Amino acid sequence: MDKWQLGRRAALKAMLIGSATPWIISSKALASSCGDHIVRLAAIAAPDTMNPFATWSSFWPTVFTYDTLVGPEAQRHADRKGYAKEWSVSDDNLTWTFKIWPGMKWSDGHPATAKDAAFTYNFLRDSIGKPDELNVGYNNTDGMDVIESIKVVDDETLQIVTKLPSLWPVNNFNLIVPEHIWRDVSYAEARSTFRNDAPLVGTGPMIISEFQQGQFARLTPNSHFRTGKPKTAGMVFRFFDTADPIAQGLKSGDLDYGVSLTAAQWTDLSKDPAFVVGESLTPQWNYLAFNTVSGKGEGSTKALQDPAFRDAIGYAIDQKAIVDRAMRGHADPGVGLVVPMAANYYSDLSDIRRHFDLAEAGRRLDAAGYRDTNGDGIREDKEGNSFQLELITGTTSGTLEIPIAVVQLVAGWLGQIGIPVSVTQLDSGALSARTAAPANGGGGWDLLVRANWLSGSPHDLLSLGSGKLVGTTNKSQWTNDKFDKILSEIDVTIDVNKIRELLDQASRIIYMEAPYIMLCYPFVLEARRKDCFVGWGEKGIMSMEGYFPFDRLRPI
Amino acid sequence: MSRRIGGILIRAVMTLLMVATLNFVLFRVIPGDPASLLLGGARISVTAEQIEAQRQTWGLDKPLFPDQVIDYLSATLRGDFGFSFKFRGKHVADLILERLPATIALVGLAQVIAVLCGVMLGVYAGWRRGGAVDHVTTGISLALYSTPSFWLGMLLVVVFSTALRWLPGYGASSPGVIVGSFAWLLDYLWHLALPVLAVALGLIGQYVVVARAAMSDVVTEDYMVTARAKGLTNRQMLMGHAFRNAMLPIVTLVSLNLGYVVAGAITVEAVFAWPGIGGLTVEALNARDYPLLQGIFLLLGVSIVIANLMADLIYGVLDPRVKQ
Repeated sequence: MDKWQLGRRAALKAMLIGSATPWIISSKALASSCGDHIVRLAAIAAPDTMNPFATWSSFWPTVFTYDTLVGPEAQRHADRKGYAKEWSVSDDNLTWTFKIWPGMKWSDGHPATAKDAAFTYNFLRDSIGKPDELNVGYNNTDGMDVIESIKVVDDETLQIVTKLPSLWPVNNFNLIVPEHIWRDVSYAEARSTFRNDAPLVGTGPMIISEFQQGQFARLTPNSHFRTGKPKTAGMVFRFFDTADPIAQGLKSGDLDYGVSLTAAQWTDLSKDPAFVVGESLTPQWNYLAFNTVSGKGEGSTKALQDPAFRDAIGYAIDQKAIVDRAMRGHADPGVGLVVPMAANYYSDLSDIRRHFDLAEAGRRLDAAGYRDTNGDGIREDKEGNSFQLELITGTTSGTLEIPIAVVQLVAGWLGQIGIPVSVTQLDSGALSARTAAPANGGGGWDLLVRANWLSGSPHDLLSLGSGKLVGTTNKSQWTNDKFDKILSEIDVTIDVNKIRELLDQASRIIYMEAPYIMLCYPFVLEARRKDCFVGWGEKGIMSMEGYFPFDRLRPI
Repeated sequence: MSRRIGGILIRAVMTLLMVATLNFVLFRVIPGDPASLLLGGARISVTAEQIEAQRQTWGLDKPLFPDQVIDYLSATLRGDFGFSFKFRGKHVADLILERLPATIALVGLAQVIAVLCGVMLGVYAGWRRGGAVDHVTTGISLALYSTPSFWLGMLLVVVFSTALRWLPGYGASSPGVIVGSFAWLLDYLWHLALPVLAVALGLIGQYVVVARAAMSDVVTEDYMVTARAKGLTNRQMLMGHAFRNAMLPIVTLVSLNLGYVVAGAITVEAVFAWPGIGGLTVEALNARDYPLLQGIFLLLGVSIVIANLMADLIYGVLDPRVKQ
């Protein structure tokens, strides 16, 4: 009898397991990417709302669903257009005319016209000066004070007139949203609580149809996309806090594409013939900043305020070693404020560039009056006091981590020229508090090693030294009237050659005064599987400023 | 008896009031400005005006005392935990309730498995102390107990997800599965397997060590010798005398651990990208999201107080001396 009962139990178990097997086998958790033609990608990202007026954290994935009017991608690549198909500017550089794609539709079938673009810009512009001004998110009023008027000429023509020559109309990153969805949203809601829940309505190639915060966004192909419905069956964009699951997901076949990889993971995947690895240039700076503040919030020695002291330390920093040893080759060596990604404007400042030479650094420190007079191996400042500098560092977000090896190298070199350094590692909150303007409780540090990611626009390229951004982007709090004047001039210049010339002038001013020593410009590391899709493009698989190449992938 | 329970309840309420007050103070003395951190993803240069605008949006421009303190305490007493900064105006209670099921599923299930396996193995090892089973069980348990659960989790991912491809290594569900369907349930359990294993293995080690020690103490007591002399069987001695007396330290450990169920398992959640309270706490801390942190820590305080309350009450049942 007992035997029979065991048999019955076994049969029941077998039935249960058997009934579950098809579900398990067909579970999407184990599904092959190739089978369903859905592109699976992952990044270190933490989007919090799909409302571009309320957040800075949702560039991915909203960039797949909404278009910018023009944006940097369309200016650099003939085959990567935004909401406008063509654009031109009048001879006086004040009137911009945009031709919207004829017959374009929103993903819900409504016509997408110049009226929607005008609505988006006017929605922002009309909020200026109001208590709920839309200045807290990706879509924001920054730079709109230059606009004189926004006019809908016809459904396919938008005209923006500026008060002064400005590249804002083509450079702004504001995402164009549909008027029929957003017209009843108040400023207060758009600025904070309106979450713009999926499914969204956009003009981009992939429409966000499901968003699970902290997990993933599911995107479906836009059947009304202006150049035709994308050939893939959709996308699943996974969000992670760390790179480990991304690398594991690629290896296990659960992901087709991963970005934000570490150097070790990238190297590991590069040896696997199933993958193609790539690295993308980014508008990111890793820099060493000096606290140049005088008075409240100043550092432990007045030497930090002396350009000769900072310049001498510049000779003790070996950017090539940082790239080779700390970044494992995945970065360009730091030079000036203009990042290599901004190829139109980049200069390596070869005629004034410092070279790594510890002896030269020592000689310059001696000449500037920072000698080791008592022979203890530590230099004294001009007041005769020995000093030890506090170097603070930390991560500002998941994608902007400073490898600790960078800090170790910098501290080591400074130690070798008689400037001992103590390192304090901080979390993002504490780091932002300590590097805030002294009026807001910040200051008291000496050296800062930090990463910054801005856009490659001429204005942002100079922002580290902007007097208006002291305590926010300008962490060294260095100011220079001539530099600020050039920055103002750039804001009202649209000629590329003239901008390049002005950027070069400003870069040289700040390089010579050395409130920052650029350490490197890191690459974003990425990898993709070879077996499921084609159309990825060549170097730099994924655009850092648009949805390329996910609008043109095709299943194999 | 009722006086004892009354005293326990009063202490619990006092503790919660202290937790609520400390929640306000503690998070604000941590350096960091939520308004600046909310602009952390900005890809353009951020102005002081933009930071100030964020401050106004989230009421951080008001004086800390009395405005913010009074707002917080009065709202908390009404059961209103306010809006999250990081999650752009979402109710804190909604956010916590969204993440709580995933955490309870992960840590709760791991606790149940660990209590059942760990206590049984520990009691058996203690009962048969010095034997082969005791040596093997104790050795493995100590190894598991001393292994960080996140490291165990990473090993499990490498073996079962990356190499063997048997189980998913991250997330709680597959995109596109209809939530609430049978397919979703299976998919969810499928995703849950490795994280639960990572948490449970460490806990099993802990329970085995404590249960074995408790049982080892009991079996050498005089009353156990007396019981054997009276002719009781092993089963009668184990269930009637040894197990009940060994329960007190085990109940303490279980109730303490149950109190932490809602806190999640931060490191394991990070390894498996599990969308639970642990990950939410880290996100809130990184963003200095005061309302969300206050809500999470109040919930944690309540759960620990309740767990301790339950332990106090169970002591009374297990050991009549406590009632007196």
